Amino acid sequence: MGDSQYSFSLTTFSPSGKLVQIEHALTAVGSGQTSLGIKASNGVVIATEKKLPSILVDEASVQKIQTLTPNIGVVYSGMGPDSRVLVRKSRKQAEQYYRLYKEQIPVTQLVRETATVMQEFTQSGGVRPFGVSLLVAGYDDKGPQLYQVDPSGSYFSWKASAMGKNVSNAKAFLEKRYTEDTELDDAVHTAILTLKEGFEGQISGKNIEIGMIGSDRIFRVLSPSEVEDYLQEVE
Amino acid sequence: MSRFEESAPARGGFSYDLCKRNEMLMQKGLKPSSYLKTGTTIVGLVFQDGVILGADTRATEGPIVADKNCEKIHYMAPNIYCCGAGTAADTEAVTDMVSSQLKLHRFHTGRESRVVTALTLLKSHLFSYQGHVSAALVLGGVDVTGPHLHTIYPHGSTDTLPFATMGSGSLAAMAIFESKYREGLTRDEGVKLVAEAICSGIFNDLGSGSNVDVCVITKGKREYLRNYMLPNPRTYVSEKGYSFSKKTEVLLTKITPLRELVEVIEGGDAMEE
Repeated sequence: MGDSQYSFSLTTFSPSGKLVQIEHALTAVGSGQTSLGIKASNGVVIATEKKLPSILVDEASVQKIQTLTPNIGVVYSGMGPDSRVLVRKSRKQAEQYYRLYKEQIPVTQLVRETATVMQEFTQSGGVRPFGVSLLVAGYDDKGPQLYQVDPSGSYFSWKASAMGKNVSNAKAFLEKRYTEDTELDDAVHTAILTLKEGFEGQISGKNIEIGMIGSDRIFRVLSPSEVEDYLQEVE
Repeated sequence: MSRFEESAPARGGFSYDLCKRNEMLMQKGLKPSSYLKTGTTIVGLVFQDGVILGADTRATEGPIVADKNCEKIHYMAPNIYCCGAGTAADTEAVTDMVSSQLKLHRFHTGRESRVVTALTLLKSHLFSYQGHVSAALVLGGVDVTGPHLHTIYPHGSTDTLPFATMGSGSLAAMAIFESKYREGLTRDEGVKLVAEAICSGIFNDLGSGSNVDVCVITKGKREYLRNYMLPNPRTYVSEKGYSFSKKTEVLLTKITPLRELVEVIEGGDAMEE
């Protein structure tokens, strides 16, 4: 990877002290489809829009929310192919951790390792930063947790967060509606309402995706019919 | 970017650099290091609803029993288990590694693991080590294509069989299978036959002993019957216990400090710095 003419790092500092490539990566994230996550008292829910480029696309084959370990799931905003690489690396790291310590990887550790990978791509030769921000939802011995990881490699723990196109409206909406002791089902309703705020067109079980993890510590992506049930409860 | 073999040597396969040196050392009289072998009787058979695996529980180190109740039936996937004979470290490491690879594969495909996948991963690994990884395995499981049972030899060859035995007690166990196995056994008949075969290995082979472990795998369910039979209990334990002769009584404790024998010389030469 370091033998070509372009083996210098593209992420070099600008005179104002910024890394311009990372700023551009964040712009790429900001123009991606909205995704959000909410941490409840007994679980975490993450959700995203699933707008497909054409009605001819088989929507059943597209899954944006992925499982990293049985108790950790992830959703992204930004470039889909970049997220696939990160999901693959994270799964492998979780499995290597298990092989080494015979313990399921804690959520913070997995987030830290993923963030390290993303940071490496901002300081290596011949590569570019990832054009995605990830929302990692997990439930381990420390309870339910929600983390956001940015292209720069920085990560934050959130009670509720949104990314992508409609981020400012979505965050304002979440700030108003979030309460500390919200239950998981209420959190799902809040997530749906937040998505609905900036949604163009008719919202249905086929053009949004919801993943949740409860006190059973099993992360699952809801099927379209289950999403429809929640949508009807919200109506 | 690396693919699935992150634990293999960099260029793939076994590095033969030190073999000449080892041969020279052996000629000069160096004995190779001893290791924990499993002696072992392991068996598997296919019955009408799935697969039953069985194993004894003795681990030997030469003539000594190192572990009276070890686990030889290893987890590979929720629907696949593997019995291991040979060097205990090799069987544990190899099954652990392939179990990990299968888990990642399940994440990527979203499907239940297949027995042939586990088989191919195991045999490619063993072949690339040219028999130096001393693991002889009986692999069994139930997947979408049905129940499967395979044997894998340390050099990497495999067989697909309706009933199989491996290990030092394999001949004793195979004698039982050859006379009593038939197709379409029920669960209870199958478990009874497996237990009988393992017992035959336990009683007739020095390298096998202690208890019988059984694992029944059917579609959607598996039952791991650890210590299904305990045909070698410790029957006689003395009730009187053991009494040892009384310790010497301590009559007096007295500490005598050593006398100081240091002379203090006034104004002597200071030692050079």
